[in-house]
Amino acid sequence: MLRAIHPLVKLALCLAWIAACLAVFDPRFQIATALIAAAALVLLDRVSPILVLAMTVPFALFGIGFLTTNLAFHEEADFARHIAAHSLFAAPAWSVGITLFLRTIAIGLVSALFAVTTDPGAFVRTLMAYARLSPRVGYALFSVLQIVPELAAEARQIRLAHAMKRGRPPRRLVGPVEAARLLIPLLAFAIRRAGRAAIALEARGLGRAGQRTIVHVPVLGRRDLWFAVVAGGLLSLLLLGTLA
Amino acid sequence: MHDARPPSNSLGRDAAALAFEAVTVRYPYQARPAVGPIDLTVRRGERVLLLGPSGCGKSTLLLTATGLIPNSIPSEVGGAIRLVGEPVEARVPADWSARVAYAFQDADQTLCGMRVEDEIAFALESRALPEAEIAACVGVAMRQVGLPDPWRSRRTATLSGGEKQLVALASVLAQDAALLLVDEPTAHLAPLAAERLHRLLMERDPARAMLLVDHRLDGLIAAIDRVVVLDADGRLLAQGPPGALFREQHHALSARGIWSPLASHLDAGLAAAGIVLDPPPLSLDAIFAGLEPGQIVRAKPIVAKFVAGRVGTMPVPASCPVLARLAAAACAPFLGPVILRDVSLEIRAGEVLGILGANGAGKSTLGACLAGVLRPKAGQRIGAMGGIAFQRPETQFTEASVLEELIAALPRRRDRTAPAQDILARWGLSSVSRAHPYQLSQGQKRRLALATLTATERWPLLVLDEPLAGLDARGAEEVEREIERLRHGGCAVALITHDMDFALKVCPRAIVVGEGGILADGPTPVLLRDEALLDRAGLRPPALLPALHWLERVAAC
Repeated sequence: MLRAIHPLVKLALCLAWIAACLAVFDPRFQIATALIAAAALVLLDRVSPILVLAMTVPFALFGIGFLTTNLAFHEEADFARHIAAHSLFAAPAWSVGITLFLRTIAIGLVSALFAVTTDPGAFVRTLMAYARLSPRVGYALFSVLQIVPELAAEARQIRLAHAMKRGRPPRRLVGPVEAARLLIPLLAFAIRRAGRAAIALEARGLGRAGQRTIVHVPVLGRRDLWFAVVAGGLLSLLLLGTLA
Repeated sequence: MHDARPPSNSLGRDAAALAFEAVTVRYPYQARPAVGPIDLTVRRGERVLLLGPSGCGKSTLLLTATGLIPNSIPSEVGGAIRLVGEPVEARVPADWSARVAYAFQDADQTLCGMRVEDEIAFALESRALPEAEIAACVGVAMRQVGLPDPWRSRRTATLSGGEKQLVALASVLAQDAALLLVDEPTAHLAPLAAERLHRLLMERDPARAMLLVDHRLDGLIAAIDRVVVLDADGRLLAQGPPGALFREQHHALSARGIWSPLASHLDAGLAAAGIVLDPPPLSLDAIFAGLEPGQIVRAKPIVAKFVAGRVGTMPVPASCPVLARLAAAACAPFLGPVILRDVSLEIRAGEVLGILGANGAGKSTLGACLAGVLRPKAGQRIGAMGGIAFQRPETQFTEASVLEELIAALPRRRDRTAPAQDILARWGLSSVSRAHPYQLSQGQKRRLALATLTATERWPLLVLDEPLAGLDARGAEEVEREIERLRHGGCAVALITHDMDFALKVCPRAIVVGEGGILADGPTPVLLRDEALLDRAGLRPPALLPALHWLERVAAC
């Protein structure tokens, strides 16, 4: 269901929710936000709960960084500790770090909700149609979407070639020396590939003088209005509840 | 269709679709032009095939036609170019998209990662056509190339190489342009996909002119009106109707390493024996249909010799040691899921094994597993590690110059420069020894990759992945000679190729890959005559097949 929502409406609501996460320094608000985002992904968009959990891992690792930093250097965060002292996790050493940790996960899950449920093509088209994004920039973004997996495939091929020269199969993880050796060939590949893509786009009329039709632009509808009312209402209730 | 600018198919009755007048193109820092001076006209509705050796400037000429060279690729262009009656400078390259459509060699270059219908609509969006009209044109183009309607919303990244090339072709046809410029669209396609693409491209449209570069001539050449041949220096060598040109210029083309249809080689042999068919034939079927009963006896030894030189029959004695063996192996690309299961295969010293299959069947993955560069996910591989000449030769270059690349491939000892220079001379690369490997032409890159792999006897087994892609006929002959040299030296060679005639010529044995495993393993001439197997694997019989059939029929009479 979330996939059918207009990308700009979804973006606006996600940004509002992220702004609220940044403004409200209360772990209950962060927990509620993370749970709502996860529930929306699982219940409304049939995303596997395991995938949702997996998506929280990088944000959790990032959040642990905040947590440990605050445990180690908590005397430098007087203001935050003063605010957090009135919250759920009142133990001084933990409260700031836990809140920052939860905030990272909450913001991460809201961002993931937008990324997982938004077709990048539809989003770029919407930006071109409604936000006056230049078609040159818009289609450059499309090309990047195409080139990124090609770069990964090229990196795998180059690693195979290096492994052949070394005389043993490649390891799963790239070491620092191998990564450095990949840099120049991948850069050369990306430049050459981007140049060819630019020529192909120009040959198909990108950069032509005058207007350009943009087909399949998502249209605002009743469903988007209802989504905005429900999501906005939920956010308002949560803010009011937390502040109260 | 209509356009905000002048209508797309608005060629005047007498106007040339494309005219080059004394055109030269010189890239920066190059002493001599990459192409030209050249005079060439493509008339309305005419299909012109552009041939020439690797690096003679065919692709450069196509890109110059709408001003992409020099507008987007810096260079000096001399002479005059007129497109549908107007000087090319009258518009920027993008503005020519309503009248001129490009089909590139690599579909990934044409497509930019959108959904199928968005890709096809792209050029029409550029022309600001109404959305309803664009939708109608997209539907027509999809039906023309046989793309199913449910594919409209599929991301092109999820398609196979052949399917992507069809989407790219649909986007070109949707442009409904007066002139189509086509640069080797079948270079990376399996035979069935290539045949389909040729058929679609060659559907007759009297309003559309076409300038085409392609090396796969058999099956295509009959639909061509005129052939234009460039020499190695980018100047016009010859032009004319295909039948007459390939007969009259046969020796000149062969001497310069330029591809000719298979039939023209047999036609030359028959002509030398006094059998001159009229009109000059463009396919083996046409030759055999044109032979009169009195000519059959004289033709038979010529055809037999022609066939014998094109069918590899050198058996490998069972006493030769097995160099690599896969036993019930599950093969997966690097960091990818298993795509081939239960693969059992062995290759012996002095053997040349063909690995055949459709695009995406898993040939390259199997080759890497056979070479030992990839470990099987299940089962086992036995044998010393082999080398791979990758499909994209750039993949294996790590040094800053051609000479250094070769020096790095040689065993460490006091002086490696002199032996490296000798090897470069043998591969015809001495003139570019100081150049960066990425600066070489595709054919030169492929030769350098092969030179580094064969410079030592380090690899008892070599896997050559599409070694003919981007090569001219001379380059293909060099690869063939090198395979023969390796075989004589006791090296095993696994050859991955889409060229069934090349496989038939150099591989006495082949395997056919498809449906997640090995479909067949046996003598190449037997496999390539099994129509059911070829259909199942998405392959086509070699162009030589009519000659084999004819010899059998004649022998039975």
